[in-house]
Amino acid sequence: MAATKSRARDSGQRGARGQMLSRVDKWRSYRQHHQATLKSSTLKILGEPLQSLLTILVIAIALTLPAALYLSVENIRQLSGGVDASAQISVFVKKGARESALESLTTKLEGLSGVASVTYISAQDARDEFESLSGFGAALQYLDENPLPDSFLVQPLLVGDASRLVTEIRELKLVDDVQLDLEWLQRLDALLDMGRKLVLALGAALGLGVILVVGNTIRLAIQSRRDEITVVKMVGGTDAYVRRPFLYSGLLFGMFGALVAGILLTGLGFWLAGPVDKLALLYQSQFSISGLGFSGFVTLLLIGGSVGLIGAWLAVGQHLRNIQPR
Amino acid sequence: MSMIRFDNLCKRYESGYEALRGVSFEMDAGEMAFLTGHSGAGKSTLLKLLMLIERPTSGNLLINGKNINRLPHSKVPFYRRQVGVVFQNHQLLFDRSVFENVALPLQVAGYSQADIGRRVRAALDTVGLLDREKHNPIALSGGEQQRVGIARAVVHKPKILLADEPTGNLDPQLSAEIMALFKRFQDVGVTVLVASHDINLINRMDMRIMRLNQGQMEQDGVSYGGY
Repeated sequence: MAATKSRARDSGQRGARGQMLSRVDKWRSYRQHHQATLKSSTLKILGEPLQSLLTILVIAIALTLPAALYLSVENIRQLSGGVDASAQISVFVKKGARESALESLTTKLEGLSGVASVTYISAQDARDEFESLSGFGAALQYLDENPLPDSFLVQPLLVGDASRLVTEIRELKLVDDVQLDLEWLQRLDALLDMGRKLVLALGAALGLGVILVVGNTIRLAIQSRRDEITVVKMVGGTDAYVRRPFLYSGLLFGMFGALVAGILLTGLGFWLAGPVDKLALLYQSQFSISGLGFSGFVTLLLIGGSVGLIGAWLAVGQHLRNIQPR
Repeated sequence: MSMIRFDNLCKRYESGYEALRGVSFEMDAGEMAFLTGHSGAGKSTLLKLLMLIERPTSGNLLINGKNINRLPHSKVPFYRRQVGVVFQNHQLLFDRSVFENVALPLQVAGYSQADIGRRVRAALDTVGLLDREKHNPIALSGGEQQRVGIARAVVHKPKILLADEPTGNLDPQLSAEIMALFKRFQDVGVTVLVASHDINLINRMDMRIMRLNQGQMEQDGVSYGGY
């Protein structure tokens, strides 16, 4: 699009030489026309509130659905991200291992691929922690010997790597037992992957819908302004000049639609916040849903605007060429 | 150098109809001429070729010494900015004021607001409609509407002014006024070509008359008196 516009502008400057317009004048009036077109396009949309509202609502709904799904997926991912910390592998060491052996085991664990961090917890540390946390400290006093083994906490980089690491760690010498409980986490991960793909598919389908809706609206606008287009072409309006107001209309329809979608999503967020907080409380979680946010809102506006622009562009390309002075 | 030069021009429409068959003529800068002939003689086609609405099938069309036969589509708007056109049905837009109608050629050419205001008022003054700039053209009489159309055709000071049956719907008195207006543009150096079948009127104007008949130039000369 930029290429076409700048080409039109270049030839505009060349063609204007005969009419004694300076480059600066030309640029100023080009900008002025953009501003005037933006203003008149906005007024046209507001001037037919009912018709415009229908178009904008259709666009808004088409944008809200995939965006809501996207936000759900992101929120669940965030939730599972909180659980990622517990995707630790507990490695229990055989009793009576010597210090040097422990050190070499640490090196081996750290050397495994996909390991984020390795934390050593000595039997004594484990006992202290158990005493302070469990409240059974007094009972432990009666044991002659610390029943807890030395252990390591291995944090995998990716949840998906965890089960492979478990197998590998089991093979290592001195390792007594390995514990991992995160099959459900992996399932959730797979589900989220599917969810993300669904967002893309739904987004593509509904984006196409928006393109068609905007395209149709612009097609009608072009037809209702047929006389004007004919006269403008007759008095020397370039294709770029003629298509500009329609492209602005498409852009504005898309952005207004995105604006309404953003408001709908924010409302949805508030509506769900109460129940989600209650649920989180029941699970003793700090989780609360995160909404669109400022950058999300801007992204939504950009997506809406570009989809509207594409729809207008297609309609304009198809229908404007057919309107020529006779 | 001639402003308009038709060199053995032919135009055959896709339907096979031959509207122009080997037409040649020249018009100097600042010359005024009438184009006449019964309907279907090729007047409209000749004007459409000059507006680049239609392209010639063969022959050469030179404007100001430049061959415009193969002018690319993207250059057509800039060519049209050098030409003013008055239509029989004047093609005014009724969704805007007289001022905005006349301003259109300046807007598309990218003039500044201040320039547009000055030039539009000058053009409306020339056609005697300065006090109507805020009216909607639908509220004007037929003669006034045609004068708005003329103001729009000359507001950007074109080198060539074309008119297709500009007096078609007007009474003799108004028609004479419109023709006198065209004469004034010729006086300031504009090349004016008016297609009209109003023989009585154009004979009285004492100007060059080109008569087309079945797509061929049948007669090219001055009515009475003459050069």
